[in-house]
Amino acid sequence: MATLIVMNHNGDTRHNFDAEDARALLKAEKRFKELTRAGFTAATRTASGEPVVTRTFDPTAEETLFFPRLVGG
Amino acid sequence: MLLHILDGQLRLPLDVCLRWARAFREWYQRPSTREARGLKLLREWLSSEQLAQYDAHGYFDVTGCHSGKRYRIRYGTATNVYELDYAGHAKLGWCFMPREYLVAGDVMLAQKIALETDECAALAVAKNFAPR
Repeated sequence: MATLIVMNHNGDTRHNFDAEDARALLKAEKRFKELTRAGFTAATRTASGEPVVTRTFDPTAEETLFFPRLVGG
Repeated sequence: MLLHILDGQLRLPLDVCLRWARAFREWYQRPSTREARGLKLLREWLSSEQLAQYDAHGYFDVTGCHSGKRYRIRYGTATNVYELDYAGHAKLGWCFMPREYLVAGDVMLAQKIALETDECAALAVAKNFAPR
């Protein structure tokens, strides 16, 4: 089971999907595109745990994390 | 004698009140669910060294991917990122955070990822300040 984790005011919202299911994969990819289009940054982790920013949907990623655009304080 | 009787009669209600007050204080001071969820997510994404540092000191250090500079991220949602000098002292503060309101754990995680993966872009939007 793969997960899209979207940071929000509630902490985060998790969208789990079965990466083996073509329809679920399509839905997850659509959500990925919507979020990145809305300004969210998507990040995954390498096998060693280092974060990597990704611009395209990675169906093999176990977790994809989304955080809102950064601004100066 | 009268005082002794009164003392015995008052002790029980006083004990109950104290227990209630203690329970209320614990309930009031508990971390909110969303706060706890943010911290849990942060802990999952920190490296083992960063997690150990955070547990010990309440902050963790990251290395900027472009400059190799060290930054210290303290618990908080703003003015909580410090650039460190060669000796590990804060020499400049950087203030940047996600545009939407997020709990501290989420903000700190976004700051960590930004500095480790796109330091220049993070600093381009950040405002600097003198460390306290």
